[in-house]
Amino acid sequence: MPKKFIWVSLGLGGIFATTTVVLVAIFILQAWWGLPFNVLGWNDPPVQPIAFPHTQHVAVDGISCAFCHRNVLEGDSASVPAVELCVFCHKTIQGDEAPPEIQKVIDHYNNNVPINWEKVHRLPDHVQFSHEPHVRFLTETQGLGLEAACSTCHGQIRDMVEVEQVRRLKMGDCVDCHRNNQHLTENTGITDCTTCHY
Amino acid sequence: MAIQHKWGMVIDIDRCTGCQACVIACQAENNIPVNEKVDFLSRRAKQWIRIDRFWEGEYPNIKARFIPVLCQHCENAPCEPVCPVFATYHNNEGLNVQVYNRCVGTRYCANNCPYQVRFFNFFNPKFPESLKNQLNPDVTIRSRGIMEKCTFCIQRIRRAERTIEGKEGRVLNDETMRDGNYNPACVSACPTETLTFGDLNNPNSQVVKKSKNKRNYRLLENLGTDPNVIYLKKVDPHHQKEGHHA
Repeated sequence: MPKKFIWVSLGLGGIFATTTVVLVAIFILQAWWGLPFNVLGWNDPPVQPIAFPHTQHVAVDGISCAFCHRNVLEGDSASVPAVELCVFCHKTIQGDEAPPEIQKVIDHYNNNVPINWEKVHRLPDHVQFSHEPHVRFLTETQGLGLEAACSTCHGQIRDMVEVEQVRRLKMGDCVDCHRNNQHLTENTGITDCTTCHY
Repeated sequence: MAIQHKWGMVIDIDRCTGCQACVIACQAENNIPVNEKVDFLSRRAKQWIRIDRFWEGEYPNIKARFIPVLCQHCENAPCEPVCPVFATYHNNEGLNVQVYNRCVGTRYCANNCPYQVRFFNFFNPKFPESLKNQLNPDVTIRSRGIMEKCTFCIQRIRRAERTIEGKEGRVLNDETMRDGNYNPACVSACPTETLTFGDLNNPNSQVVKKSKNKRNYRLLENLGTDPNVIYLKKVDPHHQKEGHHA
């Protein structure tokens, strides 16, 4: 009896261990190649301090991306607008659906406290990225509109209530596009390592 | 197609006063942690550009000589073939570049560099609290276990290329580089214009003109590394007179 019990428990333990290892391996491998499976909220979009619906602002109101993300046509960072820019409109627009959220913006403005928006798209420290040349390439060389240009990497923001990352933004993602469009750009060195890493 | 640049530097030793402004500018621009006394004693101080000092003659006729030494961006760089992971290579702009995220820290390159201008991060860099807001966001902070070296301030070159050539559609030459402050930090900081930076492919650039000076030489030329940094010998009429006597 004890002997049989040992064999059964060893077998069960082996199956359990193998399953665990395989599951962990699958999770790590697919997270390496893509975005992780949305298990236990690992891939949820970050919770923003103020519920800001891009659906309302982009799809309904038709505000251009560059109106709030002012630096996107000028420099490296797309930039999140200052509270003043929100209040510029929301001084008069109180909203029908979510007045408490708009009141939060007004409070931040009155108390001189910036809003700590959560960053959605993070690149590692050793990657240098500038929005300006990418937007310039997509709008001027590829002839896309500004919103379509932004959607190339950021997805359909106009349909997102909570903004989430849609593309993996791993190195392969960048290099695929850089390789395919090398002949279209003026800068022939866009597949050089030091295009992004320095 | 954009012009393929070949970046180079001319260092006029006759103008150098050894003031170390270039060293400080480099430390600030490239997120190099503050070197302490113990770092120098253990030979782990990181200075992408340093001033080598020599004493010449004997007291009372003693003279101090200064040579700024930075990565020579050799055409036949001894550091490149020894890297097992291709973390250092020559790019299409004549720069010897170090890709931090590829480096695994074998230190072969530093061992093979005759100019001693490659530095290894033995520890994670530590910055005092007061310097944390001063860090340059355009430059990666190198973590422990990787090699680093002078990049000719490639972050400024890249910015110049995408702003002047890309956005504004102008030509990148000495004037546009200087006006936009796109020259490397050491060149911008030098008060005596010892250092000149520019495009060796552009025949009108100051670098090409100065490099044709008959005082030109390269550091350790006999090794055949073919550096892109050209030095101009010190003019010293007094010294020549003494030589004549002997």
